[in-house]
Amino acid sequence: MTQAVIIGAGMIPMGKHRASSYPGLAVPAVLRALSSAGLAPADIGSVTCGHAFGGMLTGQRIVKDLGIGGVPVVNVDNACSGGATALHLAARDIEEGRTDAALVIGVDKLTQFGGGTLPLVEEDPEVQRGMVMPALYAMRARRYLHERGETPDILAQVSVKARRHGVANPFAQFRKPVSAEEVLASRPIAEPLTLLQCCPTGDGAAAVVLVSEARRRRMGVAGARVAASVLHSGKATTGFRHMLRPEITVHGAKDAYEAAGFGPESLDMVELHDAFTIAELVYYEALGLCPEGESAALLRDGATTYGGKVVVNPSGGLLAKGHPVGASGVAQAVEAFWHLTGQAGARQIDSARTALTHVTGGGISGMDHGACTIHLLEAVA
Amino acid sequence: MNDISAIPAGEAADATILPFPDLEEDGAQIEVRDGIVRLVGARSQSSGVAAFPARPVCPETGARDMAPEHFGPDATLYSFSTIHVSATREVPYSLGYIDFPEGLRVLAVVRGESLACDMPVTLRADGDDWWAEARA
Repeated sequence: MTQAVIIGAGMIPMGKHRASSYPGLAVPAVLRALSSAGLAPADIGSVTCGHAFGGMLTGQRIVKDLGIGGVPVVNVDNACSGGATALHLAARDIEEGRTDAALVIGVDKLTQFGGGTLPLVEEDPEVQRGMVMPALYAMRARRYLHERGETPDILAQVSVKARRHGVANPFAQFRKPVSAEEVLASRPIAEPLTLLQCCPTGDGAAAVVLVSEARRRRMGVAGARVAASVLHSGKATTGFRHMLRPEITVHGAKDAYEAAGFGPESLDMVELHDAFTIAELVYYEALGLCPEGESAALLRDGATTYGGKVVVNPSGGLLAKGHPVGASGVAQAVEAFWHLTGQAGARQIDSARTALTHVTGGGISGMDHGACTIHLLEAVA
Repeated sequence: MNDISAIPAGEAADATILPFPDLEEDGAQIEVRDGIVRLVGARSQSSGVAAFPARPVCPETGARDMAPEHFGPDATLYSFSTIHVSATREVPYSLGYIDFPEGLRVLAVVRGESLACDMPVTLRADGDDWWAEARA
């Protein structure tokens, strides 16, 4: 089968960009992805665009501004997994021979809502009862502290690490370190989660260019091969759900490792969905970075930061880099591409060869999450 | 122009990777001089493609070489409609696509009696408000 390889990437610094439209956010990222790939707009054979709140024809509104047209443009919403789903579709288009060069865009503008929690689907019964994303993660956190005999300090340590990583990332929304005391003393959002344990409201855009492995070899450029691209939906239940064992991520990761032929022990870096502090701990276990029950120790031992076993969220993750929902899955791929091609600058992970990116998309009742996308990437040169 | 290859891409949030502040209302859409109304647009210096409103990137090639250019006052009415139901503004009003000889098409409010396809129109303005009027 033809293999898909990322050969170009770009993203804007995430932040509150109220003066920019969706194209205003995304066009600079797309131009950078194209120039870093060494391709022109006319070389692109298909476009996929992930977003949750861009409105009609978001992808076309972006690419028409730089001369891409007459090719398939698919807009995809999968909540926070929209950008990664767009990457998944593009990789399939390459693998199945429908195109030889695909552009993937992730973009969202959350400042349009004026702040506060993410607007969820109002026809959902749990949303009608008051469910907001921090509430769901807060209940995971409460259960985690209860079952594991931990205190909120372990949650705060996730933010401390994320913010420390973000300091070295010029594309991160937050670039100042925080202490555990500051995290715990920040205002309560959904107990036990405090403000500094929640990803910020922000705007962002990211883009990557994929080509077939054969084309990459002809071009003679380095890249990040898509070793696995797995998209799962959640399975609803009206009964008991183990909130520390997110089945959608567990199954997705298992499929991804099987497809790639390597497992979690081989990973040099992970960009995972740390929308709230508790998520990182839960996903250490779900992604197999440690056995069940050992996530707190993994974090405390420094195994998931520079110098450890696997660097988790070198970008600062959603907590520090920011989380404009539809943009995040593509922004993770951009970060991985930079590390795998030695372009990450001050935060470069030494001789990084393999990366995992993971985003979920939630907010509907009965499910752990509605969508989960996992990519395994491998350096090729 | 920055030499972006000199520094690692992931290290460099230079000016060319910042979002465009395209929703900022920075400057007028029209220029009025000696009673002559012109639209303030832009043209790519490499491809020659014209655009209104002005924009930072060529819509055909992606080149960042758009230079300001004024269009008008004369144009040709390509087609038009008088609108009686609208979600965006008070009715009735007439809209039309007007073609400038410099290779630019613009959607404009159109005023005048007996509008017809291919008739000549001229830009008019009252303060910031501008429209195309059937030429006498």
